[in-house]
Amino acid sequence: MTAKRFELNGKQAIVAGESPFWSKYIAAALAKAGADVAIIGKKSTRMDAALNEVKQTGRTALAAVADVTSAAQVKTAVEKVHSQSGKIDILVNVADIRLGKPFLDTSENEWQAVMTGNLVAAMNTCKAVGPIMLAQKHGRIINLVSCLAERGMPNSSAYCVAMGGVLQLTRALSLEWALEGITVNAIGTGWFKEDKKEAFNEADPLARYIPAKHYGLPDDIAPVVVYLASDATSFTTGQFMYVDGALMAHA
Amino acid sequence: MASGNNTLQGKVAVITGGGTGLGRAMARALAEEGCDIVVAARRIGPIEETAAEIRQIGTRGLAVSTDVTVSAQCNRLIATALKEMGRVDILINNAGIVRKELPAEIWDITDAQWHEGIDVNLASAFYCSRAIGKYFVERKSGKIINVGAGLGFRGMRNSVMYPTAKSGILGLTRALALSWAPFNVQANVLVPGFVDTADLQPAEQKAMMLARRNETGRRLFVPVGSQGVPDDIGSLGLFLASDASNYITGAVFISDGGGLAGSLATTGYAPIIELEKELL
Repeated sequence: MTAKRFELNGKQAIVAGESPFWSKYIAAALAKAGADVAIIGKKSTRMDAALNEVKQTGRTALAAVADVTSAAQVKTAVEKVHSQSGKIDILVNVADIRLGKPFLDTSENEWQAVMTGNLVAAMNTCKAVGPIMLAQKHGRIINLVSCLAERGMPNSSAYCVAMGGVLQLTRALSLEWALEGITVNAIGTGWFKEDKKEAFNEADPLARYIPAKHYGLPDDIAPVVVYLASDATSFTTGQFMYVDGALMAHA
Repeated sequence: MASGNNTLQGKVAVITGGGTGLGRAMARALAEEGCDIVVAARRIGPIEETAAEIRQIGTRGLAVSTDVTVSAQCNRLIATALKEMGRVDILINNAGIVRKELPAEIWDITDAQWHEGIDVNLASAFYCSRAIGKYFVERKSGKIINVGAGLGFRGMRNSVMYPTAKSGILGLTRALALSWAPFNVQANVLVPGFVDTADLQPAEQKAMMLARRNETGRRLFVPVGSQGVPDDIGSLGLFLASDASNYITGAVFISDGGGLAGSLATTGYAPIIELEKELL
């Protein structure tokens, strides 16, 4: 059950971007809180799973198939959602295109794929929903951003750069639209796994770094998305909120 | 004559916790550039040693036994420095202590232990800054360097006093920097990482530090793969004490082998993840 003041009844949400598993859980959480949810991304089993989650709650699920790296396709997809629902209250960018490679081995194409898949995709969706939210004088934009936006790691140059870009886009837009009823926030994701609350064995190289001693689950993020999407957070903008089991707090 | 280029010639620095470790390293680095040094700590032996080293480098070195947790003694330290040296240009608040023997459980920490942690690591910097502040402001020149710590930014399980006090150093420094910026007084935070100071310690600590020298655990947290050397911090102290930093205030300067830049995973953890094929 969603707390009354965090309910999203009657709101139209968009979950956009390609990622290994975020779409499904974020879409489900938004729908359970009362929102209708459109998914923008390529046609895939991941998209189907997300749509299915929404349908099961009884809310309206809408597939807006698009290559999120294409501004034109995203614009068309957003217009499709807008024409059906008459508004767009919430945009959640869940793009999470990963690459782990030494910097010197990273090809130009790989670098581009990480930049476009994570950063350009977020730019495209923000650009497409921007005019609608500005006209509404209301909007919630929530970007899922890896904590690697603020820290470095070997073999992660492209990913760190792209995620750092999404974080800075969040901060810049939050200020640009601060007087327009639009909030723009980022959720900082630590080490996550989709399936189970796997306890660490101490030999795991990450064990020391997650004080909670287990990976995060997508459902650890979902309530924070709902919270930031709700009317309760109109004074909260430009923030980077970690959901990381104290990863970033730890030395 | 000092061995450097005398870029600090005629200037005077007061360094608390200057008898051992990083305090002594900074004292040496400044003295090499011609700076006169007043070293303060509770025990007279180590600071006398530092002062003797400074005189050997070729500048004036003065040891003033000071319990920096007592504000009257901090006042006396500054007054003595001004009287004996004629001026003070630089204050390095370096005194600090990590009490390994503190109880693991927070509920077992006594009021006395709490106050000791705050007094040594934080109040001392306030007392000494307060004692010198009006002088710096009135002459429209002065530099305060507060030694912080990585644990001022990050936490550690069952570690309370040091991180609490060291994050306080950040707030204190910003307050000093902003309040006195119009008067050409700079205040900055110097953050050392793991530094091997075994050679700058008195006998009993030296044995402990030597044992730690090759501890793999420490290296795991340092991306460059080894602990720093005292000169790493001496050089940073020198930079922040020099005219090169005249436009820098309220800032944090870190020399930690990359520790704070990473620490989402063990040093050397470098995952290989292929891009999903259809994305290329």
